[in-house]
Amino acid sequence: MKREATGYRLQATAIHSSAQRGREGLRATARGLLFTASLFMAAPALSDTHALIIAGLGGEQQYEQRFRNQAKALAEATEKLAGDKSRVTVLMGERAQRDNVRKELRALAARTKRDDQVLIVLIGHGSYDGEEYRFNLPGPDITGSELAALFDRLPARDQLIVNSTSASGAAIDRWKRDNRVVITATKSGGERTATRFAQYWLEAVTTKAADTNRDDVVTAAEAFEFANRRVADSFKSDVALATEHARLEGRGAERIAVARFGNAVLATSDSVLSALYTERAGVERELDALKQRKATLEPEAYYDELEGVLVRLATLQQRIDARQAVLRGESE
Amino acid sequence: MSVSSVMHRALFAALLLVGTHAFALTIDYDPRRATELRACDDARYRGQVQQARDCYRRLLETSGNLITQAEAAWALGDVQRANTLFREATARNDRSSQPRVRWGRLFLQTHQHGDALTLFQEALQRSQNDVYAKLGMAQVFAQRFEGQARTIVDEVLKQDDTLIEAYLLRARMDLEEGQLENVDATLDRAQHLADRQRLPPLEIYALRAVHEQIKQGRRRDQWIERALSYNPRYGAIFEQLAHFEVMRRRYREATQLLKRAVEVQPDLWSAHAELGANLLREGDFAQARIHLTTAYSGDPYSATTVNTLRLLDHVDKFEVSSTTLEIPSINGGTFKTELRTRLDPKEADVLRPYVRKLAAESIETFAKRYQFEPREPIALELYPNHDDFAVRVAALPGIGLLGVTFGYLVAMDSPAGRATGEFHWGSTLWHEMAHVFTLEVTDHRVPRWLSEGISVFEEWRTGPTPGVVVTPETIGALHANKFLPIADLDSGFIRPNYPEQVQVSYMQAGLICLFIEQRFGFDRLVALLKQFTKDTTTKRAVEDTFKMPTEEFDKQFDAFVRERYEPLLANLESWQAQYQQASKAIAESRWQDAIEPARRAVELYPEHSGPNSPYLLLARAYDKSGNRAQALQTLLDYRAAGGWDPDALRELARWLDEAGRGREALEVYAALNYVDPLNGDQHTVLGERYLAAGNHEDALREFRVQLALSPHDPAPAHFGMARALRALGDRAASRRHLLDALETAPHYKPAQALLLQMIEERKRNE
Repeated sequence: MKREATGYRLQATAIHSSAQRGREGLRATARGLLFTASLFMAAPALSDTHALIIAGLGGEQQYEQRFRNQAKALAEATEKLAGDKSRVTVLMGERAQRDNVRKELRALAARTKRDDQVLIVLIGHGSYDGEEYRFNLPGPDITGSELAALFDRLPARDQLIVNSTSASGAAIDRWKRDNRVVITATKSGGERTATRFAQYWLEAVTTKAADTNRDDVVTAAEAFEFANRRVADSFKSDVALATEHARLEGRGAERIAVARFGNAVLATSDSVLSALYTERAGVERELDALKQRKATLEPEAYYDELEGVLVRLATLQQRIDARQAVLRGESE
Repeated sequence: MSVSSVMHRALFAALLLVGTHAFALTIDYDPRRATELRACDDARYRGQVQQARDCYRRLLETSGNLITQAEAAWALGDVQRANTLFREATARNDRSSQPRVRWGRLFLQTHQHGDALTLFQEALQRSQNDVYAKLGMAQVFAQRFEGQARTIVDEVLKQDDTLIEAYLLRARMDLEEGQLENVDATLDRAQHLADRQRLPPLEIYALRAVHEQIKQGRRRDQWIERALSYNPRYGAIFEQLAHFEVMRRRYREATQLLKRAVEVQPDLWSAHAELGANLLREGDFAQARIHLTTAYSGDPYSATTVNTLRLLDHVDKFEVSSTTLEIPSINGGTFKTELRTRLDPKEADVLRPYVRKLAAESIETFAKRYQFEPREPIALELYPNHDDFAVRVAALPGIGLLGVTFGYLVAMDSPAGRATGEFHWGSTLWHEMAHVFTLEVTDHRVPRWLSEGISVFEEWRTGPTPGVVVTPETIGALHANKFLPIADLDSGFIRPNYPEQVQVSYMQAGLICLFIEQRFGFDRLVALLKQFTKDTTTKRAVEDTFKMPTEEFDKQFDAFVRERYEPLLANLESWQAQYQQASKAIAESRWQDAIEPARRAVELYPEHSGPNSPYLLLARAYDKSGNRAQALQTLLDYRAAGGWDPDALRELARWLDEAGRGREALEVYAALNYVDPLNGDQHTVLGERYLAAGNHEDALREFRVQLALSPHDPAPAHFGMARALRALGDRAASRRHLLDALETAPHYKPAQALLLQMIEERKRNE
C-alpha cells in the first residue's frame, strides 16, 4: 500500500515557508532561497514555519514505541518543510509532561510572528468524560480547554492543529478559529478506541502518495483526504466496523503545506524564472476557474477548453524546467 | 488470518440450507394431552377446518384449563395468546413439566430454538424422566443437524418403547442420512402404536412417501393419496417430500412439490417460505418474493423469512449483467454458455472482469475434464456483506460458509465479504464452479462427499492456487483414525460428531479423489461420478467402478494416505515441537535460531501452506538473517505448495523485482487479483507492466479496475488508460483520459509530455 518516497530532498539552506495566502506575493528573499515552484508563487516574505509535535502517554509498550516512532518520523519530515531544525520541537516520553507542554506552547507563541505558519500535531491517546477532552500525558493529563487557551496565544495567521488521538473529535469545536484549521482523528469524543489516523498522516507527509496534483507540495487538505481515505480502507480491508471518522474544520487547508518534495528549487532572484512562475500562476488560476465552470459546459466544449489551458501549462513547465536546468548548471 | 479456503466452505453445504422450520400440523402424541381437545384435534387432522376452528374457539372460551386454552389458541393460529396462556399455566403449575414442554413446542414451531431448549430443560429439572421434554430437545437438535439428537432418541426409546414421536424422529433422521435399512421397521412400529392409540397416521404416511421417493419405489403416490384421503388439506406431506428433495439438491423437484403443498393447503406458511427459498435457489427472485411475502403474512415470527425479504430489497439494487462465453468444445469447435453475474454496484466494475475470466477458464477446464457442456446459463452472485450472503443461502446471518452452489446458480462472498487474507475468492469460485458440473452431470444425484471431494481436488489440481493443501486438523484426524468409511462419508457432512468433522470430511473427500487419480487414473474418477447419472448408492457406485467392495477400497485408501503422510505421522510430535520452536524464535527476533526448526517443519509437512504456514516462518527467518536468495526460494516453494497469503505474495513480487525477475513478479502480481483485488496499488503496477510488455488489452483492464476503485489519486490510472487506448488506436478516448489525468494533477510531467506530443502529432496531421 505504501508508496516509496522518491527521495527528493529540499536543497535550501533555509526555507522561508510555505503557506500561501493569495497568489499575489511573488517576492524573492534576500538570501536567494530555493522554493518548490508553486509554493514560491504565493509565499509571503519572511514567513517561517514552526512546529510542535507531542507524543503522549502510550500506556503500553507497543503504543509507547509506536507514538515515539511516529513523532520522530513526523519531526524529520517537518524539519524538511521548515528548513530549519530549530523551528521544530518534539516532546515525547517524560518530556511530554503537562508543564513542558504548557511551556513549549507559550514559547511557540512568543517566537512566532503573524505571518508565520504554525503546525501542531498531537499523537497518542485522548479521552472524553462527556464534558472535557483530555490529552493523556505522563503525569497529569492536559485538558482540551487549557490547550485551547494556549493555542489562542499563537499569533500566527495560519495555524494547523492535527489531533490524532482517540476521542479527539471532542475538542474540535472548542479549538476551531477563523485563522486555524483543526483536524481530528475522530468525529466526536465517543470514538474512544486507539486510532489509526496518525500512521496514515505520517505516510501522507513522508511519501508523495498524497500529492494528487503533482506539484511536489502536500497540503493539509491533500494529507487529510489521503489519511482519511487510508483509515477507511484499512477498516474495510479488515471487514471491521470503523471506530474513527476524521474531521477537518476551518478554511484554507488547501493553502497550508505540510510536506514538500522535489527539486523545483531555484534562486528566486532570477527574473526570468520569476516571470515564468507568475505566468504559470495565472494559468493555474484559469484552470481553477474552468474547473468551477465544468458543470455548466457541454463535455466537448469543456475538454477543448481544458486542453488549451493544460497545453499552456505544460509548455510553461517545459520553459521553467529548462530555465532551472540552466540555473542549476550555473550554480554547480 | 484465521480461516481459509475449504475450511469454511460447505457447498449446498451445511444442512442449514435445507431449512430449519418445523412442519405444520405436528401431532401432539403426549398422552397427557387433555381429552377435551381430542374432538377438535380429530377435526383438524381430518382437514375439517371450520369444524376444528369452531371447536377450538369454544374451548378457548369455555375451558377452565389454561393449557387447553393455550393449545386451542395455538391451533387457531393465535400464538401470542397461546404464549400468554402458557406463561400463565407455567406460573400456576410451577412444579409441573408438561406446560413447559408444550410451551417449548410453541417456541420450536415459531423458530425460537434457544427459548424452546430452555423450557425443555426446565421441564426436565421438574421431572427428569419426562420423555416428551427429551424428545423436544431431540427435535431441536435434529432440526439443527446436531449429533445429540440420535442419542436422545435412543435413550428415550430405552426408557419407553411405545413413543410414536421417537420412532418418527428416528425414521426421519435415518432418511436424512440415507440409512434406509431400518426405516420400514421403524415406521411399522409407529403405525402399530398410532393405530392402537387411535392417533392419526399422517406423519407416518408422509415418511413412508419420503422413503419411497428416496429409494425410487413405486408407492410414493399411494402414500400421498392415503394421506390426502385422510386429510385433503394435508400439504405437509408435500412439504416433507420437498425437504428431502432439497437435501439432495433437487431443487426443481422440490419446487413442484412445494407448489402442490400450498395448493392443497394455502395457509401452510412454512411451505410458502420454503417455496420462496427454493425459488431463490433457482434464481427466480420475483416468484420467490411473492411466496415469502405470503409466508410472512401468516408467520411473522420466522427470522429466515424476514431476513430474506429484507435481502431481496437490497439485492434489487445489484447490477445484473450477462455475457456469452465461447468455450472450446470437447467434440471440437466451440460451444456457447451464457454467464450472468449479479454484483454489488459498488464493486461490479472491479470484480466483473476477473469473475468472467475465471469463470470462463473454469468452464473450459471442467467441460473438458468431465465431458459435460452446461445446458443452461450459469449465474454467479457475489456479496460484499457476508451476512447478506449468509441470508441468501441459508436465510440466517452469521454462518461460516464462503460459497454455495444450487446447480446453475452460485452465490458466494465477494472479496470484500471477509478481511483481507481470510479467503481466496478465486479458489472459492473455482470450487463452486466444480460443483456446477458435478451437480449437473448427475442431475443433482451426486452424493455430497463426492461433489465436495471433486471440488477440493480441482482446487488442488486445476484451481488458481494449485498444490495439495491439507490442514493440520485433517492430519490429526488421520492420526486418530477418525477418517470415515467411504460409504458413510456423507454423515461427516450431515451430522458431525466432533467440531472439526465437516472440515476433515472435505479434506478426506478431496484425498479420496486424489487417491483415485493416482491409483486408478483420472478417468476412473470421472467414471465414478458418472455412476450417479442414475440412482445408486456410494457403496454400489464404488463397487461398480473399482470392482471391489467398499471395505477393500477403504483399506487401499487408508494405505495410500498413511504412506503419503508417513514421515509426518511418524514424527507428529516432533513436527509440532519444531513448529513451535520456530514460531517462538521468530517472535523473539532470533532469526538464525528459527531457520533450522522452520526448515524441518516444512520438510516434514510440505502441504501446510494454509494460514500460519511454516514456509512463512522460514522465509522470514532467512530474510532477516540476510539470506534473501533462500527467503525468495522459500516463498516460491510456498506458492507452489498452494500458499496465497496476500502479504507474502506482495513480498515475493517485490523480491522477484529486486532480483531482476520481472516476468515472475508480474505473474505474482496478477495472482493477487484472485486474492485481494480491492487493493488499488497492484492494478497500477500490473497496468504499467502490461504496458511495458506491449499487452495493451490487459493493461487497459487493470487501469480501468484501478479507476473503478475510486482511488484517492486517479491520475496514474487515467494516464495509464490514455497510453493503453492510444496504443490500441482509440485516440479520442485516449485524449479524454489524458485530460482527466491532468485535470486532477496539472503538474503531472509525464502526462504533460504526452499531451504536448499529442498536440504535435495533431498539427503534423492537419
